[in-house]
Amino acid sequence: MSDEIVPARARRWLFTTNHKEVGVLYLVTSLFFFIAAGLLALTFRTQLSVPNNNLLSPDLYNQFVTVHGLLMIFWVLSPFAFGFANYILPLQIGARDLAFPRLNAMSYWFYLFSGVAMIMSFFFGSAPDLGWTLYSPQTSVQYTPSIGLNIGAAALILIVVSITMSSVNFLVTMFKMRAPGMKLRHMPVFPWAILITIFMMLYAFPSFLAAVLLLYVDRAFGTFYFSSIQGGALLWDNVFWFFGHPEVYIVLFPALGLIADVIPTFARRPLYGSKYIIGSMIAAAVISFIVWGHHMFVTGIGVTSTKLYTVTTIAVSLPFDVMVIAMIETLVKARVKLKAASLFALGAVALFVIGGITGVYLASVALDHALRGTYFVVAHFHYIMVGGSIMGLIAGLYYWFPKITGRMYNENLARIHFGMSFVGFNILYFPQFLLLDMPRRIATYSASTGWGPLNFLSTVGGFIFGGAQLLLFLNLFLSQRHGSPSGPNPWDAWTLEWSLPSPPPPHDFDTVPAIAEDGTYHFGNSPGYPNGSRIGNGYAHSHLEGLSPWPIVMAFAAFIFFLGLTIGQPTSPTPVSYKPFWPLIFDGAILGVISLFGYSRERFSVHEESRVESWPFREVPNVKLGIWTFLGAEVIFFGVLIGAYFFVRTNSPTWPAVGTLFTIRNGFAMTLILLTSSLTAIMALVSAKIGSRNGLIASLLGTFGLGIAFLYVKAGEWIELGSSGVFSVANGLPATSYFITTGTHGVHVFAGMCMTVYLLVNTLKGRYLKGDYHAIEHFGLYWHFVDIVWVFLFPLFYLI
Amino acid sequence: MYLLVFAILVGGTDIEVNLASVQSAIPYGEYVSILLGLAALKAALIAMFYQHLKYEPKSLSTWVLVGLVIASLLMSLSFIQLHVGH
Amino acid sequence: MAVSNTQIVFDNLYGIFTDLAVIVGLIVFALMVYLIIRYRDKRSSQDPEDTPRLGRIPLGRGHGRNVLTTVTLSTILLAVLIFTSFAAVDVLFPASEPPATWCYGIPAYNQTQAAGQSCPRLEASGHQFYWTFNYPVPLAKPHPEVGIFRVPVNSTVVLDVTSTDVFHDFGIIEFKIKTDAIPGRTNTIWFVPYHNGTYTIQCFELCGTGHYYMTASLKVMPVADFLSWYHNATVTK
Repeated sequence: MSDEIVPARARRWLFTTNHKEVGVLYLVTSLFFFIAAGLLALTFRTQLSVPNNNLLSPDLYNQFVTVHGLLMIFWVLSPFAFGFANYILPLQIGARDLAFPRLNAMSYWFYLFSGVAMIMSFFFGSAPDLGWTLYSPQTSVQYTPSIGLNIGAAALILIVVSITMSSVNFLVTMFKMRAPGMKLRHMPVFPWAILITIFMMLYAFPSFLAAVLLLYVDRAFGTFYFSSIQGGALLWDNVFWFFGHPEVYIVLFPALGLIADVIPTFARRPLYGSKYIIGSMIAAAVISFIVWGHHMFVTGIGVTSTKLYTVTTIAVSLPFDVMVIAMIETLVKARVKLKAASLFALGAVALFVIGGITGVYLASVALDHALRGTYFVVAHFHYIMVGGSIMGLIAGLYYWFPKITGRMYNENLARIHFGMSFVGFNILYFPQFLLLDMPRRIATYSASTGWGPLNFLSTVGGFIFGGAQLLLFLNLFLSQRHGSPSGPNPWDAWTLEWSLPSPPPPHDFDTVPAIAEDGTYHFGNSPGYPNGSRIGNGYAHSHLEGLSPWPIVMAFAAFIFFLGLTIGQPTSPTPVSYKPFWPLIFDGAILGVISLFGYSRERFSVHEESRVESWPFREVPNVKLGIWTFLGAEVIFFGVLIGAYFFVRTNSPTWPAVGTLFTIRNGFAMTLILLTSSLTAIMALVSAKIGSRNGLIASLLGTFGLGIAFLYVKAGEWIELGSSGVFSVANGLPATSYFITTGTHGVHVFAGMCMTVYLLVNTLKGRYLKGDYHAIEHFGLYWHFVDIVWVFLFPLFYLI
Repeated sequence: MYLLVFAILVGGTDIEVNLASVQSAIPYGEYVSILLGLAALKAALIAMFYQHLKYEPKSLSTWVLVGLVIASLLMSLSFIQLHVGH
Repeated sequence: MAVSNTQIVFDNLYGIFTDLAVIVGLIVFALMVYLIIRYRDKRSSQDPEDTPRLGRIPLGRGHGRNVLTTVTLSTILLAVLIFTSFAAVDVLFPASEPPATWCYGIPAYNQTQAAGQSCPRLEASGHQFYWTFNYPVPLAKPHPEVGIFRVPVNSTVVLDVTSTDVFHDFGIIEFKIKTDAIPGRTNTIWFVPYHNGTYTIQCFELCGTGHYYMTASLKVMPVADFLSWYHNATVTK
């Protein structure tokens, strides 16, 4: 270790792709956002502590409440969990890093810049101020002209991109990079929880992306998805909550997995019923997608639907029952050590139980008719998200602090932290259950309501809880400098990360362990266990060579591009429209193109272990698996767009008849063009495989040319329709849905064509012809997918 | 082989367009179903042959198929729910 | 004091839920505290036999039997909650809308009713940031009242709720009933008030900066008083 070359601090942290460093970045950044969002909360709690208060104007109050929610859910809870996932998970499964380290770094920088954008929105007009749920039509440009919401939308889009990249990365890593013998069933619960969370993210976030995109388009281009009577409120309600409910499980499950691993360590016994716990998590994840209607109980969807959602929502509490009972049973005949981590873990279970029980109240549609929109709901979800998730994540912080820093924290200070947090938390939130008559998100209230005393009590609790966290930061900060060395395994735990030194060296494992049939770990070549792979010294420094500037540059480019799109001031008061800020847009686009080139030309190699546990995808290469996973997310994304089209169409009393709006011949031509381009794309792959340079060039040119033709016909159609005056974007839903859905598809075609150009350039340099045809294959997967989407769009828009 | 698939795809599109011109003769519900069915068929062909799913390891095609099934179930569920209420 | 039928339904159901919640909660917490204390680490403690050690994947532990018991007990409990909820919903939202027992009646109205036509609808409308209430008037235009909703006591009141601008939520706090007020849609609720008095209506969905003061009063009046108000306020205009 003494001959390591350590790069200068700034360069190291800005350009790192090492999972441990990216993990630390996530952890530290999420804690900063935690403090920011917490301060927002303390401010509005103070505002609410007495009736008729005017500490915060109603306008500011609404902004604080909204940004508090958005920051906590998107910029604190998940990133905090994924900080651990980044650092610890590869160690737990015996991998040296994630499958795509630069993509990982890029995820982080997208996350950071998106958070900057969200905070910036405060300074441009007003930050989003309609609750994190952003209901329509109050979010439309008519009721919220401020550009702060546009910037907020940009921030949300950026973080969804970050999350999608992470999902693909972790999925491929967990399926393809486990150490030999580390079967899925051998993994600790934390990696399982992350895996399940990733699946949920993959299926839920594209819906949110579609929703935010449509909201932005409504505001910037005057379309009508959410502001119309036919679309409007319920369209957003459905699309948002379809994502929103799985999302709240997404922010919970990693903490649950963490708790399920911490409790056994400090109980000195194996986890009770671990396979049932994992099975329950999977069941809960699946069911979480069919309960979202319980957020819409009073919207008038009809008694049949609401009864159905009552059943599914109450049913989802069953898996959680099993999980909690199993965790508690772990304590039977155990030797329970009450250190900081276990205190927080057990405390989290207790608070989660209260949160879960009160969730069942809200699942009952009859009770919800009284409790909807009241502080009962607020108390319920804070018991889960703070009591369950945050407390669980803090347990993780104490648990893994020695591993990450190599030093022990102060146990007594930590125990005081726990006591203050636990007591303060309950004083803060339990009174809110009793405020079940008080509406949410009201800036103040009159004294005659009688809500004053409980609010005051709640605020006191808030300050106790908030103040307690100072102890946490103090403890960790000081211990990191002066704490006593912890050694590799201070808890005498048994998961793989504890076999490494604290902190682990850059390359993690000197030799990747192998797990034998009887479950024992083997490090290094031993007779009879040839599975351990031995890596020579040449690898020990490779992570220090794993510095790359492109992740941060790319993220910055995206940041200023989206800022340019959303920062423009309104040009006219009515109808409100926004001027894009072209300098930023251009700079962002150019920088983005440069980074794409830099990224792809960089010599960055990921050492792939020869022997890994990779059921069930043994024969599928990493990148291909990643691309198919990404396409899965795209399916949901387009599915939601098409679904929105169906929704507004079926809710509209009239719709133009077939053939009246669009020339079927145009659509036919475009379909033929695209189908042919798929043919040329597959011909390109064939040419590459057989090494035919001319064939490859010809097919790539053909694909490109056909793409141009497609966009040309489409542009012609758009111009014709737009200039007819009758069918502009602002003229109702047929126009809106057509332009937006086909437009998004068109953007995908354009992206595909950029890829063709890139491939062509490389072909001219002689690549892809000597057995390295994979880029062509991957491009083909994407291109054929875009074709498939059009195969559905054609009949849906032109023929029905 | 790819050309054969291409021919089927073009033919399918042709059928769709011709169907549109006689659309008034068929009940609307059936018309939409046939169109969507044809689209699904074309999509399946592209996926199986152009995206090579038919020849990929079972694990991958199962992965994609399961995902698609779940996605369509969710979409249909949303759609149904939107219509049961008034 | 029972103020409305909807409030009684809520209180009964809430009572059932809370009884069960307290029982379950107490059992779980008692179990946790007991286990933590009973099996806490003492100086004399030793690690149990099956303590996993670094170097080996822990063996599985636990009986499926226990899981089955948990699931069965939970299912029974949850089924109880589901069925009681369904019963409550069927009261709040019966299959066919209950007839407004009192059709804002003046002789002209009763004629209309007798002719087989249904009672004109009573409507509440949300605006940024106030509520209006449209009382049906047989011969003149509907007369909107702002901020005050008057109803006769002991009568079935059927209310259509909508919004003229953004997404609001109409809630009568003491009556424990609410419904979303969505532009372009009408949601119907009904209730029977049992006591004269003034109650609070408030908006329960964040609708803008004025959300916090979007309140209204519900005045439950004796039938005779209501009649004379209605007569004066509407018919003569």
